[in-house]
Amino acid sequence: MKKIFIVLAILGLFLTGCSSSDKETLRVFNWGEYIDEDVIRAFEKQYNARVIYNLFDSNEMMYTTLQSGEVFDVLIPSDYMIERLIAENKLQKLDFGKLSNFDGVMDHLLNLEFDPNQEYSAPYFWGNVGLVYNTNTVSEKDLEAGWEILRNPTYAGRIYFYDSERDAFMIALKALGYSMNSTNEAEIQEAYEWLLELDANMNPIYVSDDVIDNMIAGIKDIAVMYSGDATYVIEENEDLAYFVPEEGTNFWVDAMVIPSDALNVDLAHKFINFLLDAENAYANTYYVGYTTPVQSVFDDVTGEDGDYEGADSYVPRMDYAFDEVFRHNEVVKKLLADLWFRVKAQ
Amino acid sequence: MRTFSNLVKPYIAWMSVFIVVPMLLIILYAFTTVGNEVLPFKFTLDNFIKFFDPVFLRVLGKSLQVALITTVISILIGYPVAYFIANVKENIQTLLILLVTIPMWINMLVRTYAWISILSDNGLINSFLSKIGLPTVTMMYTDFAVVLGMVYNFLPFMILSIYTVLAKLDKALIAASYDLGANRIQTFIKVVFPLSLPGVISGITLVFLPAVSTFVIPKFLGGGNYMLIGNLIETQFITVGEWNFGSAISLIMAMIIMISMVITKKFDKNVEENNSSGGGRLW
Repeated sequence: MKKIFIVLAILGLFLTGCSSSDKETLRVFNWGEYIDEDVIRAFEKQYNARVIYNLFDSNEMMYTTLQSGEVFDVLIPSDYMIERLIAENKLQKLDFGKLSNFDGVMDHLLNLEFDPNQEYSAPYFWGNVGLVYNTNTVSEKDLEAGWEILRNPTYAGRIYFYDSERDAFMIALKALGYSMNSTNEAEIQEAYEWLLELDANMNPIYVSDDVIDNMIAGIKDIAVMYSGDATYVIEENEDLAYFVPEEGTNFWVDAMVIPSDALNVDLAHKFINFLLDAENAYANTYYVGYTTPVQSVFDDVTGEDGDYEGADSYVPRMDYAFDEVFRHNEVVKKLLADLWFRVKAQ
Repeated sequence: MRTFSNLVKPYIAWMSVFIVVPMLLIILYAFTTVGNEVLPFKFTLDNFIKFFDPVFLRVLGKSLQVALITTVISILIGYPVAYFIANVKENIQTLLILLVTIPMWINMLVRTYAWISILSDNGLINSFLSKIGLPTVTMMYTDFAVVLGMVYNFLPFMILSIYTVLAKLDKALIAASYDLGANRIQTFIKVVFPLSLPGVISGITLVFLPAVSTFVIPKFLGGGNYMLIGNLIETQFITVGEWNFGSAISLIMAMIIMISMVITKKFDKNVEENNSSGGGRLW
């Protein structure tokens, strides 16, 4: 009996040991490989807080997790998903009075269609989608065809295509000269046939993040990639270059938002402000390779002797008429997902 | 003893909350569709009808085919291994069984990732081939890679269930067979193999069922092009957001699995009736 009491006493010590810390907790939900973890440690130290940091690998997965009832204080989804969350009243307006570093954000990233009055979101990274190609094996002349190079028989069996219905249909619609946010069924049908033909003739491999390692290893010659990933692979393999077709592409912004059911709104603002701080924004962009939204950091790293001086993919095309931001449309989304599955299962 | 029966009650409560309720939810989702504001959902069979589309049926056929190939290969490799292990000295048996189970201590995701670096175009195998001057082979994103990944992951289940039966086999029966003039091969075909069938059958169940519904292995080793029924369900839930259709497919899968279990059970029973005595039993 005595032993049991000793055990209980020790257990009690442990329990009080845990609960006695008065640290505040912040729950963050972000993409994988999308932050310099030292920045999180620095935040924890500065604000005596504990950050519970969770990862997702697609906007849709993040949404499904939210739907299952998980609660977070800060999310970092993409533009169209933010538009959806706003429409479903799942976000709260930011208190910009608490975001002293927000003034440093690049102007052209503000007031975009997904958050027209810039009330709910603060940009985190931005970029576009393009083609990474091997300069030794892909001719400049063939690139003039734009997205259509993905259907050029010369490159059959040498292509990585991004496995996501949004990006796939974006490419097909742009190649056909339509808006990537088309809701016109005939246009979508045409894009579907464009993709079916690509699938049948080119034998592409549909990839996700595995494309990064495969391109660095130089296994195939052309890959559809996000600009930030392109920056990274080009750094690692100097034979590669980045190309954005003139027909237009997806211009995207991943931004920080606070869900309406967040438990620690005040700390969430502090975290967002912390990430917009020039020093931390630099650490993140240096570590991850995606383009920073903070003007001063952007100027630094792309300027003379900057870390990304001369890196085409680090400077996504700005204010180009044919580049668009994704819009959320529930009906079209389901249609595209269904059609994309059919392309792949062909 | 009677007083202890109360201890089972929390377990029953646990089971009903975490096993029965989710199952009922899947059934509810499968037979309903999003309704209007007055009635949040309405009953329908559309989700099931939707599945009878050539594209989805082809995906189902492919899943069954891959799972079947995996199971056959697992038997072909697993039976000799189990037979060998069951016939060595007892203390070595323990060691060998430990070796068979060691990979299962490591997370399946990690093990599958490891295969990527072995099979990829610049991976271990191909580096070796090019070093000795042979042409390289593309293995990633092919049927070969997916079947290999599945056999690798599920083979221990086959070995263990066959081994368990073989190890418990009454050695007197084998001695009797020799006494009656049968040679080794005859003894194996007429005595050992029939008596070990229950182990083979439960091995089939343990390999075929996970193989037919896995989505991680085809996703990693087969690439986005490789669509099996597990991937279809995953896409419906995660990307498309069609929980109703996803649930319906899950139910259809559950039905297929149940039917195959009934068939194997029936087969198992016939075997047991024939082996009236002496055969090792698995459970």
